Formats: sequence, structure tokens, C-alpha cells
Amino acid sequence: MNKLHVNPTYCKGCLICVEVCPTQAIRPCPAINAQGYILPTEDDMRRCTGCRLCETVCPDFAIAIETDEEQGG
Amino acid sequence: MKKHPMLKYLKEEGPAGPRLPLIMCPGCGVGQVLNYTLRAVDTVIHEDGLRPEDFVFISGVGCSSRLASHYLNFDSAWTLHGRALAVATGALLANPKLKIIVFTGDGDAAAIGGNHFIHTCRRNLDMTILCINNGLYGMTGGQVAPTTPLGQTTTTTPYGNVEDEFDLCRLAQTAGATYVARWSTAHPHQTIKTITRGIRKKGTAFVEILSQCPVHFKTAPAEMFRGLKKSTVPLKKAGRKETQGRIPVGEFCDIDKPDWVARYQKIIDRLGSDESPHE
Repeated sequence: MNKLHVNPTYCKGCLICVEVCPTQAIRPCPAINAQGYILPTEDDMRRCTGCRLCETVCPDFAIAIETDEEQGG
Repeated sequence: MKKHPMLKYLKEEGPAGPRLPLIMCPGCGVGQVLNYTLRAVDTVIHEDGLRPEDFVFISGVGCSSRLASHYLNFDSAWTLHGRALAVATGALLANPKLKIIVFTGDGDAAAIGGNHFIHTCRRNLDMTILCINNGLYGMTGGQVAPTTPLGQTTTTTPYGNVEDEFDLCRLAQTAGATYVARWSTAHPHQTIKTITRGIRKKGTAFVEILSQCPVHFKTAPAEMFRGLKKSTVPLKKAGRKETQGRIPVGEFCDIDKPDWVARYQKIIDRLGSDESPHE
């Protein structure tokens, strides 16, 4: 299963990644972080196809997808 | 934790401490354009065998112009307001082998730097101009710009803008640029492909990228992103009745003609082989 990595220092919670995800594998986190931002979180990563559109559109270089192959699985 | 793949081209740490996160507001399109540009540069580095030292990034003043010198791990210059293209011209003529990429905004290129912009296109200097167009002056507080659409409310046009907006792509095409395209931040793959072509193009490549300013338009970033998709139309479908009022996006022109350096080199070759005319 692909893994979502969000850098909490770089992310500003614009949630464009959630908007572009074609399979709704990620969703806004219900909790607010220390800076007042709502970060993206995993919803159901079984739906993630590894298209990396979230990585491509991220304005803050905060999101990364680790695929099965990268995890060595 | 796995890092974003494009962070390898950015300076995460500087002498005065960490440089990231980017200074831009949440959801700003400028960061997205940086992401797309780095992907295009990454493609060119891997496929054409160029080195990072072959690139120079130049910017003027404005939101978009914070990108070049502060964050990039490439050679860069942060220059005067509207004069990025003048400095880029100097850099190119000093070393024509460089791949020059200019980050500019709509205020920087169309308002204060309008003359530099048209004359760079006219001279057909070999560089890639990336104009991030958010339709207002973002850094100074959201005032009306030459690219603000008709009827748009901004802080200085509270009842709607009465002026027609500048079409920068048509301007660049008429002035003589060899490659002109327009996309928006909501077209990631198209923008990356276009910037890659622009870098490879010999001559002036002008790419206008429509961007969102969630702070001054007071709209959520994701909603503005959706709006950009809805308000644009591919060039093939533009001009039809059902697509009226939408902004055409795509490649406007892609022509081949010798650039300034090639023409000047011809004169050098001719005079170098003959007797000097002044002797």
C-alpha cells in the first residue's frame, strides 16, 4: 500500500492536493495543527494509484508519496 | 520520512537558518509554478545532458520574483522591478550558452517592465520568460493591474474594473517571440511540458501561467483552483458560442527563426574572415 508523507513544517494547509486527488485517497485532517492549518491525511490509501498528482501540484513541496516498490515491498 | 522529490533543487538551509517553508501565502500559485518549473528543468537535465550550472534564474520584484535567488540551488539574480529581462539580456550576451529562465509577474512584465518585455521579444533573445499572472498586484495589497479582467473588483476598483485587460500572449506573439503559450496552475502536466519546450526552444519563449491569489480574491485555494479550470478553454474550442468569455489556453505560436546571438555571430564570422573595414 502506498504511503503518504506530509511535512508539517512546510505544509500550509491549502488542500489543493485533496482537490486534485482523482481517487479521494487523501482527505483533510479533522484536527488543526499548531500553526492553525488543516493538513491532508490518509483516507483510504488502498485507493491511491501512485499518480503523484498531489506531489506535482503542491505549492510548498510538503507532500510525498512512497510507493510499494520504494518501501521494498 | 520521504521528502518531496523537487527539494533536491532547493536550498532548505541558508546561513541565517532554514529558508523553507516558502514565504508565499497558503495556496499561492507561485509555489506551484516553481514546482512545475523544477520538474521541467529536471527533465531537461536528465534527457539533454545539461548540468545545473548551465541554468541561470533571474527575477525582478514582486511575489513571483521571490523565487529565483532565495530558494533555488542554481545561479540566480534578484534584480530591479521590471528590469529582470534587461539583466537577463546582459547575462545571455556575456555567455550565450546559458539557459536563462526569467520568473516574472504580471505587474513586473506588463506594467513597469512593459518596454523591456516587448523589446526582448522583438530581439528574439534566447531565454524562457515565465510570467505568473494572478490578475492583480499581490505584494502591495491587491490593487488593479493591467491584467485584471474587466469588471473584477480589487482593493482600488471596489465597484469593478473599467479597463480592458492586456493579452500578454498576443502582445508577445506580435512583438516577435518564437514560442508563446498560456496555461494555468490548474493544468500541471501541460505547463510542465510547455516549460520544457520553452527551455529547449532557441529564441524567446514566453509562457504565461494564470495563477490564483486566494488572499486578495478572498476565496479558498481549492475553490480558486477549480475556478481556473472552469474559466479556461483549450485553444481548439475557443471562439465557439458555448465557450464565450473563457480564456483560451494552449500554444499560440511556435516558429523557427534565428535568434539575436545567431545573427550577431554571422556578422562576427563575416568580419573575422575579411579584412577589417576600418583598416
